[in-house]
Amino acid sequence: MTTSHETFTDKAAQAVVRATPEPLAARVRGLSDRAIAWLFIAPTITLLLAINIFPLFWAIYLSFTNYRANRPNAVVQNVGLGNYSRVLNDPDIWASMQTTAHFVFWTIVLQTVIGFALAYLIDRKFRGHAFWTTLILIPMMLSPAVVGNFWRFLYEPQIGLFAYAVSFLSGIPTSEIRMLGDVRLAPWAIIIVDTWMWTPYVMLICLAGLRSIPDYIYEAAEVDRASNWRQFWSITIPMALPFIMLAVLFRGIENFKMFDMVNLLTGGGPGSTTEVASIALKREAFEAWATGRSSAFAIVLFVAVFGLANIYVKILNRVKQR
Amino acid sequence: MADVTLKGVTKIFGDKRAVDSLDLSIADGEFVVLLGPTGAGKTTTLRLIAGLEKPDAGSISIAGRDMAGLSPAGRDVAFVFQQYSLYPHLTVYENLAFPLRSPARRMDGATVDARVRQVARMVRIDHKLENRATRLSGGEMQRVAIGRALVRRPAIYLMDEPLSSLDAKLRGELRLELKRIQKELGSTLLYVTHDQIEAMTMADRIGILAEGRLAQIGTPKEIYTNPANLHVAARLGQPHINLLPPELLPGAPVPAGTRTIGARTEHLEIARSGAGNAEVDWIEHLGDQNHLHIRVGGHKLITLADADLPVSPGERISLTLKNPLYFGQDGRRLAG
Repeated sequence: MTTSHETFTDKAAQAVVRATPEPLAARVRGLSDRAIAWLFIAPTITLLLAINIFPLFWAIYLSFTNYRANRPNAVVQNVGLGNYSRVLNDPDIWASMQTTAHFVFWTIVLQTVIGFALAYLIDRKFRGHAFWTTLILIPMMLSPAVVGNFWRFLYEPQIGLFAYAVSFLSGIPTSEIRMLGDVRLAPWAIIIVDTWMWTPYVMLICLAGLRSIPDYIYEAAEVDRASNWRQFWSITIPMALPFIMLAVLFRGIENFKMFDMVNLLTGGGPGSTTEVASIALKREAFEAWATGRSSAFAIVLFVAVFGLANIYVKILNRVKQR
Repeated sequence: MADVTLKGVTKIFGDKRAVDSLDLSIADGEFVVLLGPTGAGKTTTLRLIAGLEKPDAGSISIAGRDMAGLSPAGRDVAFVFQQYSLYPHLTVYENLAFPLRSPARRMDGATVDARVRQVARMVRIDHKLENRATRLSGGEMQRVAIGRALVRRPAIYLMDEPLSSLDAKLRGELRLELKRIQKELGSTLLYVTHDQIEAMTMADRIGILAEGRLAQIGTPKEIYTNPANLHVAARLGQPHINLLPPELLPGAPVPAGTRTIGARTEHLEIARSGAGNAEVDWIEHLGDQNHLHIRVGGHKLITLADADLPVSPGERISLTLKNPLYFGQDGRRLAG
C-alpha cells in the first residue's frame, strides 16, 4: 500500500518536472526573468511616458514661459508666475469656468435623476425589459461626431424635427425656437444632447447597483410593515448610493472636459454663451497661439479637476464603508 | 399571540407542487418545528403564511381571520430569514427599532427605546447597539435579525433556518436562548430546519414534511419512538436508522407483511461471540462513545456503542433485535 503510494507520487513529481518549462533566463541567454518582465511592459511604459507623462511635464514647463507655438524660432523667456496671474485674473476665463460648472451641474442632475428613474423602472423586470434596456442604450453607442451633426439637423429652426415638435406641443412658432442661435437656449441645447447621449450610461451603473440589493432585504422590510416610500429611502437609495456616486464621478470628470459636442453644435457661440473651459482653452492655444498662457490655464484646470475628484473619491469611500 | 390554521394549502412552481394540500394547525403559544430535507416545501410554507407567496389553493387563517389577499404588512407576522437580512447602513439599534418605527404602529420614542434595549439584552447584543450592521460577526448579525423579530409582538414568529449559517457552538447556545425566550414570551413560533437536533430540543411539536406534504406531526418523543412511516423514521436518530430485510437478524417475531425492519441503536443488542452472526468492520471514536460499523451478511449497520466495549475491527459478534420498528410494503409502520 505505502510503496505503491510512493511510486505514484514519484511518477507525478516527474511528470510535473517534465511539464514545467525551464526558467526563461536559461533559454534567453544573458537575461534574467526580471529583465524579461521589464521587456514586456516597456512598450506600454514608453507610450505612457511619451503621450501622457512627458506632455504633462512639458506643459508645466511651458506654463512658466512666453513660448508661442506659431513662432518656434523666437527666444523663449521665463516669465515666472506671470501666466498664472493673468489666467486667474482674466474675466473671460472665469466666465468659461462658470459656464463649465453650469454644464457639469445640470448634466449631472438631469442624467442622474433620469438615469436612476429609468434603472428603477427597468429593475421592475416587466415583460420585455431586456428589449427596452437595449433600446435605451443605443445613444451611448453612437459616435459623438455623429450625434453632434445629427442634433444640429434636429435643432434646425426651419426643417428640424425638434423645433417642429416643441412648436407643435407649445404653439410657439418654429422661428422662435432657435436652439443653437438663441443666447438663452444654446446652453440648454447642449445640455439636452449630452443628457440624451449619456443618461443610458448612468442608467446602466444605477441598474447594477439596484440589482446588487438582495430581494430578502425588501421582503424583511415588507414584513416589518415598511411602506414602499420608506423601503425606497431606507433600503434602495442607501444601498445603491455608492453606484450612483460612481456614475456622478464618471460623468463629472467627463463633462469637465466636454469639448466635442460643444465644438460641433455651437463652437462656443452664440457670442461666448457656450464657451466652456475646453473651448476657451482651444482658443487660447490654437487661435491666439498663446501657448505658455494656455498651458498655465490647462494646469489650473487639471489641478481643479484632480483635486475635486480626489475629495469626491474620499467621500465615496466613506459612503461605501458604512 | 394567536393560533394559525392552514387548510389544503397548495403552492405550485412551474410543474412542481412545492406545497401539496397541506393541513396544519398551530396552537396559541406553541413552538412548532417543520423538519424536512431541502425542497420539502418548508420555506415555501413559511412564506405562504407570511404572505410573501400566494397559495394556488387552500386557506390560511391567523387568529381565526382569513388571510387571503392580505399583504405581509397586514398579517401581523414576524419573519427571520436564513440570510442575514439586516439593513446594512443602519446601526444595530436602528435595525432593532426599524419595525417599531412603522407609522402603522404609532409608538412613541420612549417606548421604542425601552423595547429595543430590552430585546437587545435578551439576544445579548446590548453592548454593540451603536455598531453598524456590517461590522458584526455572523452570529451577532443573526442575533440582531432574531431580535428584530422579537421587538414586535406579532401573532406568530416565522423563522427560516435562522441558525444554519452559524458555527456549531453558537448554534447550540442560540438554540437554548431561543427556546428560553419563546417560553418567557409565551409566543407562537413556527420554525423551519433540516437539523434534527434543533427540532428535537426546541419543538413542542415536530411536523415532518416530505415533498410538500405533512408526513406526520407530533411531539418529539412521538415522532421519534412512534414514526408513522419509513420516511419519518429516517429523519430522526443519530446515527441514521438501519433499514434491514426482515429475516436478517434474530430476536423478534416479525409481523406478517413486513418488508423492512428499522433498527436504531436502542433496538440492537451486541454480545461478543466468536461464533456470532456479524463482524465488526470499523470503529469511529467519538470520545465518550464509538460509532460501530458492523457487517451482517451483505448488509452494513451503524450503531452507537460505549467507548469501553471491548471489540476491535475484524472481531465477530452476535447481534440481536430488541423491539425494532416494522414497515410494510408501502413504507407504513406496522404494529410490532
